[in-house]
Amino acid sequence: MLELSNICLRSSDSVPFIHTFAAGEISVVLGANQSGKTDLCRLVAGLNTRASGNVCLVGTSLDRVSPRRRPVSMVYQAFVNYPNLTVFDNIASPMRARKQSSQTIVQAVNDLAEKLRISELLGRFPHELSGGQQQRVAIARSLAKQAQVLLMDEPLVNLDFKLREALEVELRDLLRATNTVVIYTSSDPRDAFNLGDQLLLLADGEKVQTGTPLEVYQKPNSMVAMELLADPGINRFSRDGTSCALRPEHIGVQDGKITPAGLMSFDMLVTAYETNGDESFVHGQVEAQEWVMRSRGMLPVHAGQRLTVAAASQDVVHF
Amino acid sequence: MAGISLDNLSFKYPGAQDATLSKLNLNIANGEAHALLGASGAGKTTLLNILSGLLRPTGGVLRFDDLDVSNQQGRERNVAQVFQFPVLYESLTVAENLAFPLKTKKLQSKVITQRLDYICSELELDELRSVKPAKLSLFQKQLVAVGKALVRPDVSLVLLDEPLTAVEPRVKWRLRQTLRRVQADLKVTMIYVTHDQTEALTFADRVSVLTAGGILQTGTPEEVYASPEHEFVGHFVGSPGMNFLPANALGVADAERVGFRPEWATLTGNQPSSAQKRGHLHGSVLRIRVQGAKAGKPFGLVTMATSQGEIAIRGYIPDTSITAGDSLGVCVHRCIGYTNELKVSDIEFL
Repeated sequence: MLELSNICLRSSDSVPFIHTFAAGEISVVLGANQSGKTDLCRLVAGLNTRASGNVCLVGTSLDRVSPRRRPVSMVYQAFVNYPNLTVFDNIASPMRARKQSSQTIVQAVNDLAEKLRISELLGRFPHELSGGQQQRVAIARSLAKQAQVLLMDEPLVNLDFKLREALEVELRDLLRATNTVVIYTSSDPRDAFNLGDQLLLLADGEKVQTGTPLEVYQKPNSMVAMELLADPGINRFSRDGTSCALRPEHIGVQDGKITPAGLMSFDMLVTAYETNGDESFVHGQVEAQEWVMRSRGMLPVHAGQRLTVAAASQDVVHF
Repeated sequence: MAGISLDNLSFKYPGAQDATLSKLNLNIANGEAHALLGASGAGKTTLLNILSGLLRPTGGVLRFDDLDVSNQQGRERNVAQVFQFPVLYESLTVAENLAFPLKTKKLQSKVITQRLDYICSELELDELRSVKPAKLSLFQKQLVAVGKALVRPDVSLVLLDEPLTAVEPRVKWRLRQTLRRVQADLKVTMIYVTHDQTEALTFADRVSVLTAGGILQTGTPEEVYASPEHEFVGHFVGSPGMNFLPANALGVADAERVGFRPEWATLTGNQPSSAQKRGHLHGSVLRIRVQGAKAGKPFGLVTMATSQGEIAIRGYIPDTSITAGDSLGVCVHRCIGYTNELKVSDIEFL
C-alpha cells in the first residue's frame, strides 16, 4: 500500500490531495498532457520534480529516502536500456546491483524473458531490437528489480498499434500476478478500461475522482471527470437550466420519426465521419454544440447530412 | 498534381539478402487520398523514400502521370513531406515558416502573399501568423508543418509519414479532418503512411495494406475491413483483429480456415446446444473486458477458449454475472473462408 498525502503536483496554489494506491492491482492515473502525471511518478520515485508532498510505503515514510534506495522502479515513455549491455545483462542489472547469486539471476532473467516473449533475444544488444522489443526489455528489467512500487509512465504510447494491443493483455496478466503497487499513467481513456483496476483522474495537477473504471464511467462527479474518461469527448446540452452530457457511445441514429418512451432525440448536422472499421465516429452540430456519436461498425453517413439521433434518458448525466 | 503509378517496383538495400520491397503494383489517381497501412518493418518508410526521391528503385518503374521518374532527383519531383514530428524553424514566425518554401523558389512577393493568405485561411492559422513555434501546441505545430507542405503552388505529391504520432489522442481527429478537407479542396494527391488503422481508414479514399515488402490488398476502407482478401489483412485491421478457426469449427466445408470479426458473433447464454449447428460454437470465458454500459447494460470484449482456438466477441455482455471459466455458446452470423491465407468464400449464417 502506497499512501500519498499533501500532494501538490504543479504549483503551491493547487489544492493538496491525498491518495492511496493498493498493492496487487493496477492503478491507472488518467489525465491530459501537463496534468501532472509524470510529476506524480517522479515524486514517488524521489526524482527532481515541481511536485511536493509526502510518500509513505506500508507505513514507512520515503520522504528522506534517496531515490536509489527506494523500492521503486520506473518504466519511461522512451525506451531506456543500457546500450552497452546485452538484453540478458540489461534485465540482470538490478539483480546484480543487489548482489544476488548468479544462479538466482539466470533463473529470474530466463523466467521474465519467457513471460515477455524475448527469450530468443537475450544475446542481442538494444540497438539490434525493434521499439516494441526494446520496451519489453525495459519492462523486464523493471520487474527484475522486484520493487514494491512499479511506475509506468505511458510505457506503450510510442509503440505500434498491434504491438500495443498484444502487450496490453500480456502486461495486465503479468502485473496482476505480482503483489506490487502498479501506477500506470496515460492520457488515453481506453487504457483505463483495458488495464485499470482502479482509476485516479487528474486535471491541472489536482485529483478529480477515483474509483473503479466502471464506477467513474457511470457516475462521474464532474464534467471534467466525464470528459477525461470519454472517447473521444462528451456531448453537452442543457435542459431546464441544468447542464447535461451524453457519452458518444450512448447516442445512436433514430429510426423513424417517433421517439419511443425513455429516449431523448436530437437533430444533428453532420460535419465529419470517421471510422476504423470496428467503430464509426460521427461529428456534428447539435443545439449549437459540437457533438460526436460513436457507433459500432461503419455507417452510411456523410458530412452535410441531417440526422435524428437518440439516447436513453437514463444515460444522460446531469450536473 | 499527379497520378502515381508503381509498376513492379522493387527495392533491395545493398548487401541485404531479401528485397525490402518486391514487385509492388499500385495506381494512385490524381487527387486521391491514399493510405499505406502496415506494421513497422513492412517497408513503408523505404517506399516513402523512393517516392520522395531519396532512394532509387532497384527494379521496376515509378511514374508521376506518364513520366518515368525512377531515376529523377528528389528536387525535380516537387514532392512535399510532413514528418512524424513537426519540423519548423524555431526562430521564424508561423508566417515566415510558411513563406520559406516559396522564398527559396524565388517567387514574386505578390504570389507569396496570395499563397500565404490562402493557406492560412484554409488551415485556420490566421491568428497565429506572428507567433513563434515555441508558443504553439504540438497540434498547432503540426498544422503549420502541413501548411508548409501545401503552400507551394506546384506541389505534385504530398507524403505524410505518421503525421499524428505526436498529437494528443483527443485532438487527432481534428487534424485528420482538416487534412481531409484540405485534401478534397485542393485536390492534392496525398499518400499517408501509418500503422494505425483509424488513421488509414478515416483519412483515405483507398487503403493499401503492406507487409514484408508486398501489398496484400488495396481497396476502400469498407472493403479492407469487411472483406479482407488475405488473412493478414483481417488480423492487422481491426482491434482486436479477426478471429480465425479451422473451417470445420463452424461447419464450413469449402475452405481451410474461417475468419470472423469480433462483432460478427454474439454470446448466447449459458446452455450450449448439444447439436452442432453451422455457425455455432461453444467455449469457456477467459477474460471479460467491460468497455462501458448503455442503458444500464454493460458492453465490451469477451475472450473465449474454444476447443479449436481462442476467439474474441464484442458486444453486450448478456449476463452480468458471467465470470472467467463459465461455459457459453457463441453464434456467428457471418464469416469469410480462407484457403492458403487467401479469401475463397463469404458466408452468412441464417
